[in-house]
Amino acid sequence: MSEETEPFEARPHTAAAQGLASCHLCGKVSPVTEEFCPRCSSKLHLRKPNSLQRTWAFLLAAVMFYFPANLLPIMTVDGLGGPKSDTILSGVGTFWEMKAYPVAIVIFTASVLIPILKVIALVTLCLAARGRTSASPQKLARLYRLTELLGRWSMVDVFVVAILVCLVQLGALMSVTPGPAAVSFAAVVILTMFSAMSFDPRLLWDRLERNPTPPSDSP
Amino acid sequence: MKRHEPGLSWPRLNAEPMQVACHFCDALQTTPRLAEGAAAYCCQCGEMICQNRPRSLAHATAFSAAALIFMVIAHAFPFLTMDSGSVRTRLTLTDAATTLIGDGNPLLALAIVMFTMAAPAVLMGGLLYVAAPLRFGLAFPGAVTVTRLFQKFEPWSMLEVFLLGLIVSLMKLGKVADIQFGLGLWALGGLVICTAAAMAGIDRMELWDRLEIANRPTE
Repeated sequence: MSEETEPFEARPHTAAAQGLASCHLCGKVSPVTEEFCPRCSSKLHLRKPNSLQRTWAFLLAAVMFYFPANLLPIMTVDGLGGPKSDTILSGVGTFWEMKAYPVAIVIFTASVLIPILKVIALVTLCLAARGRTSASPQKLARLYRLTELLGRWSMVDVFVVAILVCLVQLGALMSVTPGPAAVSFAAVVILTMFSAMSFDPRLLWDRLERNPTPPSDSP
Repeated sequence: MKRHEPGLSWPRLNAEPMQVACHFCDALQTTPRLAEGAAAYCCQCGEMICQNRPRSLAHATAFSAAALIFMVIAHAFPFLTMDSGSVRTRLTLTDAATTLIGDGNPLLALAIVMFTMAAPAVLMGGLLYVAAPLRFGLAFPGAVTVTRLFQKFEPWSMLEVFLLGLIVSLMKLGKVADIQFGLGLWALGGLVICTAAAMAGIDRMELWDRLEIANRPTE
């Protein structure tokens, strides 16, 4: 993989147009020719390197893990009634039948809805960075921030499995073993988090130069 | 500079307004020096650029120290004790990890160790190591490296998600067994709150500006 940044046309009044890079980590603005941030010695980039390629790659990997994560059992309960495997969706169903609606909704949102919405959001953002949508950068930036904020909560099901495995070791009576979906699901969450981290929201604004629609007024 | 005087902006290397580039849209602009409690917003996209949080170093130090104490308690005492028949099981973070390894799931165990033990410890320990000496205008050796490290660990600290997972597990087990809350659970709650308060206590830009001042070569 090359270290080159993806080509972009810099808008005037941006730091990039003047050859200045703001450090990803500490925020100090320094000339990109210095290569390393004088304050925290991170590598300086005008934009995150290969941002869209990396985002797509992590996203694709996440989507591939999404299927085993939802189709395979996330845990197996060995009880008196014989072994019983639960997928994420059947777990939600059980809670719904128990009339534990808030828990069912939380699990459904965190484990099913958020990963799907996150993938859709990142695809939208990647397409928007290429200039394929007409949504305003403000709205897209809000979408990006929401994506970053909510992504981690999907991990809740993985923790539930870990907690149940630890708590329920009642020997011959009952035991819980994690299923193959648990690792896949953790992979989905981690990969989408990496994907969101690789995305550079500044690309959303860079396309304005290529796309003659004027920016809407900021609030 | 022993005590941060209320109402004043934080110290900077240069007295003149600072050049910053918005992290969301890369608009190059200058921020004025902010009085305590004030925030600067991007002139193009309206995103917050930095904020002078009141008593930032005191908050960061106090809450990270409290978080570390809670962390020790949360590790030492079980979150839950479950009585089912004649068997009693206890849940601690280390127990969860070792059970998962014993069950042949080292990857899940690694996720637990990383997200609920390592990342929070690095985050709070690192912040305390950096923020406490900064109150006296000092930077301990390696403070820059430590700050970079804990900033990179920040998204991976998922104790609040783990807490939600605990609640969900409780709902799942509530009917099967008799569950008692342990001291560790309350400590975990305190830890989650203190971690959030410590991270919200100080602006990233302020922390780096103060580090830069503390690290400047003395003539």
